[in-house]
Amino acid sequence: MDTYKIIEIKESVFENNDRQAELLRDELRQKKTFLLNLMSSPGSGKTTTLVQTIDALKDEMSIGVMEADIDSDVDAKTISETGAKVIQLHTGGMCHLDADMTKQGLKGLDIEGIDLVFLENVGNLVCPAEFDTGASKNAMILSVPEGDDKPLKYPLMFSIVDVILINKIDVMDFFDFDLERLKERVAKIKPNIQVIPISAKTGMGIDIWADWIRGEVKQWTLSTTSDQKGETGA
Amino acid sequence: MHELGIVIKVVKTVEDFARRNGVTKIDTLVLQIGALSSVIPNYVENCYPMAVKETLLEDTKLKIEVLPANALCKACNKVFNVLEHKGVCPSCKGDKLEMLSGNEFLIKEIIAC
Repeated sequence: MDTYKIIEIKESVFENNDRQAELLRDELRQKKTFLLNLMSSPGSGKTTTLVQTIDALKDEMSIGVMEADIDSDVDAKTISETGAKVIQLHTGGMCHLDADMTKQGLKGLDIEGIDLVFLENVGNLVCPAEFDTGASKNAMILSVPEGDDKPLKYPLMFSIVDVILINKIDVMDFFDFDLERLKERVAKIKPNIQVIPISAKTGMGIDIWADWIRGEVKQWTLSTTSDQKGETGA
Repeated sequence: MHELGIVIKVVKTVEDFARRNGVTKIDTLVLQIGALSSVIPNYVENCYPMAVKETLLEDTKLKIEVLPANALCKACNKVFNVLEHKGVCPSCKGDKLEMLSGNEFLIKEIIAC
């Protein structure tokens, strides 16, 4: 007769991902590549915003893009027309990217000499918030037609991002969207977070957004040096 | 909605663990899922048979323990169940809390034979 024994594993599935994400961040620091994880609902204008952003920054830094979708390569095609290096990742039904998939994507993209990589996450406000991709910073786009109540419905997403873009600001008059109310709701979840109104269609606000990225990329490069010093010292 | 992908990851982790520890036959996998976790126990159970197909865990049983969503009231230090009390401290009615548990998703143990 079989004898049964209990073997304790006690492993957190999410913590495992968090560990991989930390390793990936270290690697990115060493390679001096800034990885921005861009999240939003489907249809918020992620790809259009990216095209505008790349246009604003491509003369000063080399840019790569990872397009994550369940299927198709329409976004990758659009992005490739900007001249940025792009790779399409198929998540194969998965609704989010984790650190392991991100790492594979970066390998496929080959980030040697690339200063800035955008990760266009799967359009979804739920699961991408749960999984640290290993990105340097997290950004989200909320578009005006989605409504200003999104922070109430998806608090986790709003709590993990470092900056929020409010897109389609040009159609504000047609919707019941109150920017001040949104800011209040966001501040309750994450005080002091920067909210940048933009219109990816007209280009409004893209300069402020591009400035935010410039600042973060610069800081990332500086953190590279100080962290390496720290590691040697330890 | 993302349970299948997550369960596939769990299966891989357990397979690795089993290989490293010389376990060749598993009877039951025990998971612990927090009541506030984005992983839904019911969905995990439903996709489990698919995720374990042609793996070391094929035909194993799955047991899920749900961990309570407990918080500490910052005003009076009482520990209480957030879901039962809708996020308000039952003793002082305070709503400033510190979450203690409920977001976990753990591979607790395997019962091997």
